[in-house]
Amino acid sequence: MFAVLALIAGVALGVVFEPSVPLALQPYLPIAVVAALDAVFGGIRAKLEGIFDDKQFVISFVSNVLVAALIVYLGDQLGVGSQLSTGVVVVLGVRIFGNVAGIRRRLFRA
Amino acid sequence: MSVLGGGGAPSGRGGSQDGGLRDGGPPGGGAGPDAPAQRRYTPDFVTDLFRNPLDPGYAEAARRRAERGEPSRRSRLSARVARTVVLVLAGGLLAVAYHQTVASTPESDQIQSSLVGDVRSRQAETDAMQKQADELRDQVSKLRDDALGDGDSGALQTLEAMTGVIKVRGDGAVVRLTDAPPQIDPVSGQQTENLGKVQDRDLQSVCNELWRDGAEAIAINGERLTATSTVRTAGETILVDFRPITSPYQVVAIGPDDLQKRFDGSSTGELFRELATDYHMQVSVKSQNDLTVAAAADPQLHYAKPLTSATASTPSTAANRTSGSPDPSPSGGR
Repeated sequence: MFAVLALIAGVALGVVFEPSVPLALQPYLPIAVVAALDAVFGGIRAKLEGIFDDKQFVISFVSNVLVAALIVYLGDQLGVGSQLSTGVVVVLGVRIFGNVAGIRRRLFRA
Repeated sequence: MSVLGGGGAPSGRGGSQDGGLRDGGPPGGGAGPDAPAQRRYTPDFVTDLFRNPLDPGYAEAARRRAERGEPSRRSRLSARVARTVVLVLAGGLLAVAYHQTVASTPESDQIQSSLVGDVRSRQAETDAMQKQADELRDQVSKLRDDALGDGDSGALQTLEAMTGVIKVRGDGAVVRLTDAPPQIDPVSGQQTENLGKVQDRDLQSVCNELWRDGAEAIAINGERLTATSTVRTAGETILVDFRPITSPYQVVAIGPDDLQKRFDGSSTGELFRELATDYHMQVSVKSQNDLTVAAAADPQLHYAKPLTSATASTPSTAANRTSGSPDPSPSGGR
């Protein structure tokens, strides 16, 4: 419950302050969002399974976002940025779907 | 997609990583450590990804916690703070990303729509001015007709029709030229140079031929040709009097009844038939009745000045008309 409130507070802060993203960081924003979603869904599933761990969650969030951005940055430098970001999105997307399926099974037994 | 326990016997990666985290750990995981004699196939990365989407770290942390007991109150508190901060960050990230995607599109849209609006309003302005000009021209010609005698006004209208200042109508011929369809090389699949593209030269020779065959008024795609008209190319487009026109090109000519026959019988007609067969340019020459050819834009004098401006107010004489034929009245001259 508290976590949901924190998430909502974050959204509200983002909406209220509308921080402008520097131009150089803009290409990494979508990837960062997907990585953050992966961490959040992983956390939700772990919570439902009773094995949630704060440290693990914090580290997975930060490293997910950083590594995803790094991969895209490297790809941009090597000229295969779009392919690499597709790869990142596929991997993270598979994980998100798997975790959401786990959550779904927990919640609805289906 | 992810399999619940059952098929996942080979636990891969040395067993330590995903041994205990299989969806709440049904007993199937127990097969891992006690089957070293069996040949085991470690699942490749993608299979592993599909089977265990949850970060293995959670299970490990849970096991560690179970081994060492709950951490101290203080570290629990700091962990909770860190978690909250991360969640706030995640929420903020979502909001910012949403804002960015939504905000960045309207910006280009806004610019475009404002440009479109500009173009529209300018077009409306031009249309209105054109209409006004037409009305004024009608007024002028009516006033002039009133002022002139019958014979004079008739002669003036003929002159105007010949010079392209007013709209004319009559029978004649329509020559239609269309670019050949783009040729694609069957081997490389690339577009080859289109030799059947209509060039400014083609339009020029069509017009010259039509003039020679007795045409009295010609318009290309609605642009009336006058004594000072130009047909030329700028880049890929053909300009008629600096106005761009595109394929299909329609040359409307008013002239004698046998204009089409004369055109077809000429060497130019022959040339275009060859262009059509050899280069697939689409050419058609048709005789047509009751054609209308629009008026050309007002001729503008930039350097020459009429000599008779002082006598413009006096009722016309024959001498006045001949020397002042480009209508020196200040209202018409813009």
